[in-house]
Amino acid sequence: MPRISGVDIPNDKPTFVSLRYIHGIGPKSAADICKRLNLDPGKRAKDLSEDELSKIAALLDEDYVVEGQLRRQTQQNIVRLRDIACYRGLRHRRGLPVRGQRTKTNARTRKGPRKTVAGKRSVKEMR
Amino acid sequence: MTRSAKKGPYVDEKLYHKVQNAEATGNRQPIKTWARSCTIVPEFVGFTFMVHNGKVFQKVFVTEDMVGHKLGEFSPTRMFRGHTAGRSSGAQR
Repeated sequence: MPRISGVDIPNDKPTFVSLRYIHGIGPKSAADICKRLNLDPGKRAKDLSEDELSKIAALLDEDYVVEGQLRRQTQQNIVRLRDIACYRGLRHRRGLPVRGQRTKTNARTRKGPRKTVAGKRSVKEMR
Repeated sequence: MTRSAKKGPYVDEKLYHKVQNAEATGNRQPIKTWARSCTIVPEFVGFTFMVHNGKVFQKVFVTEDMVGHKLGEFSPTRMFRGHTAGRSSGAQR
């Protein structure tokens, strides 16, 4: 299996799909990369030549922020928000939704599994 | 939706003048303001503002990182101190 940009090993899928296994490459960037390098997007990743692989790696290096670097960047942005103690930073600290979503119900992605409180009336009973 | 770039950032004019006056006179007293929607511009860096949160004025010292945010973002309007741990809370009915 081919390796691109460090540890990523995209599999036996068409190039434009397997490129998306790289963190930071989505449908749009994947299609762009194929186009800019004149690759056949439908070609299986395993059939890519050494030359094509190195071209992809070079392009990623130059124009795209991917993988560890992207993760670090995202993390730094969050740390900045936390440090200046703005509203969004406070929400990050608390582990609550940052963009104004409701928290009376839902918001489980941010809040994690439900923590049931004894003696609290359920939503059904309140009606 | 984000604000149109054509208009530029919203800066409360009175507050901006106050900052400029303070700059000119070298007065570094905190500036009281209700203009929570005012964007923090680079000229504000190093000043302390007292931003109203609906009840009291919260002290906000502006650092370089805060440029581009609004003053109100640093003066929370709600204070959540946790749920009452009291005896069988919510059991009444």
